[in-house]
Amino acid sequence: TAFVVDEVSGIVKETLEVVIGRSQFEQKRVAQWTSSVVEQSLSQLSKLNKPFKYIVTCIIMQKNGAGLQSASSCFWDNTTD
Amino acid sequence: MEEYHSGDEMSFSPDDATNVVKECIEGIIGGVDYSQNKVNQWTASIVEHTLTQLVKQAKPYKYIVNCAVMQKSGAGLHTANSCYWDTTTDGSCTVRWENRTMYCVVSVFAVAIAL
Repeated sequence: TAFVVDEVSGIVKETLEVVIGRSQFEQKRVAQWTSSVVEQSLSQLSKLNKPFKYIVTCIIMQKNGAGLQSASSCFWDNTTD
Repeated sequence: MEEYHSGDEMSFSPDDATNVVKECIEGIIGGVDYSQNKVNQWTASIVEHTLTQLVKQAKPYKYIVNCAVMQKSGAGLHTANSCYWDTTTDGSCTVRWENRTMYCVVSVFAVAIAL
């Protein structure tokens, strides 16, 4: 019961394809998309039945020439998380 | 929201975390304009300083800190988080900050360590 990065990436990519796929950016739908992406990813992850807690975040940004930088830092157990 | 003072060690305070985050952001990008060269340093500094301050509280928690900085140029940005955890002990907070030229969104997640 370890955290398998490839398995989880696969689940997330599939969820993105299903929810957004080839759609164009639409301000009216973007709130639904982010919610659906995180909820569906989370439910697929919990189906793996591994002894983990999960946190899923999703950022959607329109392609408009703006710069976006993100970073994350984690204080946890490197052997298990 | 009720506060249990006798159980302070075991609970996550979103208000405290929000203050820690705001101070870190102000300290690092308070009065500056968006700069493509410096933005990666900024996001790294914000997450590291926030994490250091949280860890100093010496609570039995694991932390995850996320930071996104976006230039103001008319583009739309939407974010969402979903968490599968123990709602009695775990918690999160998100801080949205902006100045004249950029937006900054920082999320802190605290997951209790089962002792």
